Amino acid sequence: MLPYDPMRAYRHKRDAAHQAFNTKYAMLGFISSGTYGRVYKAKTRDAEERIYAIKKFKPDKEGEVVTYTGISQSAIREIALNREISHENIVALREVVLEDKSIYMVFEYAEHDFLQIIHHFSTTVRAMVPPSLLKSCIHQLLNGLVYLHTCHIQHRDLKPANILINSDGVVKIGDLGLARLTYSPLQPLYSGDKVVVTIWYRAPELLLGARHYTKAIDCWAVGCVMAELISLRPIFKGEEAKLDHKKNVPFQKDQVVKIFEVLGTPSVHEWPGLPQFPEYLNMKALDNYPPKLTEWCTTRFRSKDATDLLRQLFMYNPENRATALEAFNHKWFSEDIKPTRNAFHGLPPNHCPPLRKITQDEASLAHHVPASNNNNPAYNNPNSKPASWKPASGQNFGSAFGVNTAVTMQVPAGNNSGGSRKKPRLE
Amino acid sequence: MATDYWASSHHRRWIVDRHTLNNARAEDLEYATHEQLALLGVFFATVISKLGKRLGLRQRAIATSVVFFRRFYLKNSYCDTDPFLVLTACCYLASKAEETPVHLKTAIVEARSLFTGEDYNLKQFPSDNSKLAEMEFYLLDDLECDLTVYHPYRTLLAMCGKDNPPVPEDDAEAGELGKPQHDGPRYWGTGIGKLDLEEGAIQMAWFVVNDTYRSDLCLLYPPHLIAVASIFFALTLHPSSRSAVDSSLAFSSSHPPSNAGGRASHGQPKRSTVVRTGDELILFLAGLNVSMPLIASIIQEIIAMYSLWNRMSEGRADWAPQSSMQRKGKSNSSPIKQDDLVTPVALTQFVLEMRERKERDVAHPPSAKPTAINKVLERTQAAG
Repeated sequence: MLPYDPMRAYRHKRDAAHQAFNTKYAMLGFISSGTYGRVYKAKTRDAEERIYAIKKFKPDKEGEVVTYTGISQSAIREIALNREISHENIVALREVVLEDKSIYMVFEYAEHDFLQIIHHFSTTVRAMVPPSLLKSCIHQLLNGLVYLHTCHIQHRDLKPANILINSDGVVKIGDLGLARLTYSPLQPLYSGDKVVVTIWYRAPELLLGARHYTKAIDCWAVGCVMAELISLRPIFKGEEAKLDHKKNVPFQKDQVVKIFEVLGTPSVHEWPGLPQFPEYLNMKALDNYPPKLTEWCTTRFRSKDATDLLRQLFMYNPENRATALEAFNHKWFSEDIKPTRNAFHGLPPNHCPPLRKITQDEASLAHHVPASNNNNPAYNNPNSKPASWKPASGQNFGSAFGVNTAVTMQVPAGNNSGGSRKKPRLE
Repeated sequence: MATDYWASSHHRRWIVDRHTLNNARAEDLEYATHEQLALLGVFFATVISKLGKRLGLRQRAIATSVVFFRRFYLKNSYCDTDPFLVLTACCYLASKAEETPVHLKTAIVEARSLFTGEDYNLKQFPSDNSKLAEMEFYLLDDLECDLTVYHPYRTLLAMCGKDNPPVPEDDAEAGELGKPQHDGPRYWGTGIGKLDLEEGAIQMAWFVVNDTYRSDLCLLYPPHLIAVASIFFALTLHPSSRSAVDSSLAFSSSHPPSNAGGRASHGQPKRSTVVRTGDELILFLAGLNVSMPLIASIIQEIIAMYSLWNRMSEGRADWAPQSSMQRKGKSNSSPIKQDDLVTPVALTQFVLEMRERKERDVAHPPSAKPTAINKVLERTQAAG
């Protein structure tokens, strides 16, 4: 006698109709990982061999056995929001495959991201990001953000690593795992997530313990990203104070000081709500800093308009901070050098950032790619050009990476392998 | 856009016509009549509402659960599934989709205690977390990952919302009280102005919207039309609003507009200087850029739902004037072999019997050889 299971017939019907992920996509390599799971590069198993980025949410494990434990809030958010939106400057979701207790989100592939551009210019080119590239990146980023905000979506984790750019130079905002719809929320945003935005990009109202916050937190983050593209290092690079054992959120003193060192200590005059913040007294205990943003800017660039845009995005009072739309329409973008649809337009070849590195991830590739003895030397040559990169049709990729070695693909000479800076991440 | 209904997954993929709806019922119709299925629709919406309240869900999350449930049964049949497990998964998933998550364990414990209790007397319901999580996984797939649902509440508040929503906070059924935001043009594009309803009438409309989830309306019509129909409905149910409308109607029928310059016998000043409440209501609704025949058919469906609901012993709309709407149930058309009130236990039993009859038919088809699904079943049973 079988255990009572009235859904057996249903599951068989569904499973029979399911087209296996494996038959649709071939994994090419591993891109990155996070708390949610891993991101892979994959191609479709059809004549077109289109390239996608696959975000695979890891199934939870109880001991060694993988069981269903409920889909995470972050996956639900990312799926729910991505199914509704469509914009050139937002990474598009092609489909979601639910299979074998795992969730595969199939996103359009973007070859680069802002972090990689910053790294490329700081370590390889050893020069500032050219104004045309900088302006195009920020303009397109703001264009995507205007769309999100018009849809009442707060991103809540904007940072260079989450802002992608494809090989046509089109900026794509990615990772809506922390984003949420703010249209008539059923409960305050704070009660859902105690900590939002990676520390270096976190707005002052969040650092001061705001229970209520607005889309302006994303605009602050855009300011941080812009400053980082200019100076090639994070403008407010504070040390994060960790949650205590009771998971209380501590006062982020170091981060606050880093901000004050550049922008000066905020006054009640410019930010009347200041004394109401839970961390106000902690803030008052700090030294008084004079504002130095103008100095910060003039030592780095000449454009007065760029300085003004940064100033608008770094307004302490969220109500006075530039909105995404105001920033998008800022006069800096109509100055002599205009933003371009292809952000890489007119760049000398050595200024173009390298292709995204992918490595082999044995566990998942072994699962998806059948063993084969085919070998194509091109795959093992890190200096080969993208054109020679394409596998002969019908050939699989798995063996090309070799077994048990993490082969770094497509690293142009002169680029050290990254990882030289510790990237904070929102856990 | 996540706040633009016309660009939403809701509008593009999940509004169906009646023909599609009937096709989706084909298999269940071999084991139940249309009326019985409609009764089950009322029943399961009530069950979801009960479970939702136990889980502390707000009204909007409960409404989303019901929409998920109905969308699921656009693709599946009662006789092939366990609707109690499905609806629990709907509540669990909707709680997350509406950003008010409940724990998996809480969901299954509450569901089990509710369903196996005396109200429903269900003999078997899983106690294992993973069973519910598995169902959620399949549910998400059947919902095609479309989790953003639009509800008439938003339209209602935007059309006649006051700054303080009219519904008492402690009334769980009344639920979602989000303050409407007006930083964009209203999507039904009727221009400026709001309907100035009495609080009691808004409240009434809100309750009617709650009740529409007991029918298939959320699959057939866009939410703003349901909201407008609910306002019409509320105006006829709310005594003082109704008398205002009635007097305006009586006035305008006896005094056509061309002659409205003033009648001393009524002691009314000119129309252009004083507009009566009833006139305003009528003008506002008449001025909406919506199809009045559609509104009328939605109202018809709401009435049909109420008369069906009134045959159930559980959770009827006490506030509605039942005497005027309740038609005497004809005993020969009564779905479950009971003449007057249908109990939850009887409906639970009925849906279980549907599944048992289906299972028998699959195992021993009356005419043809066993169906393919049966072979799959046999293979599994042999294996496991």
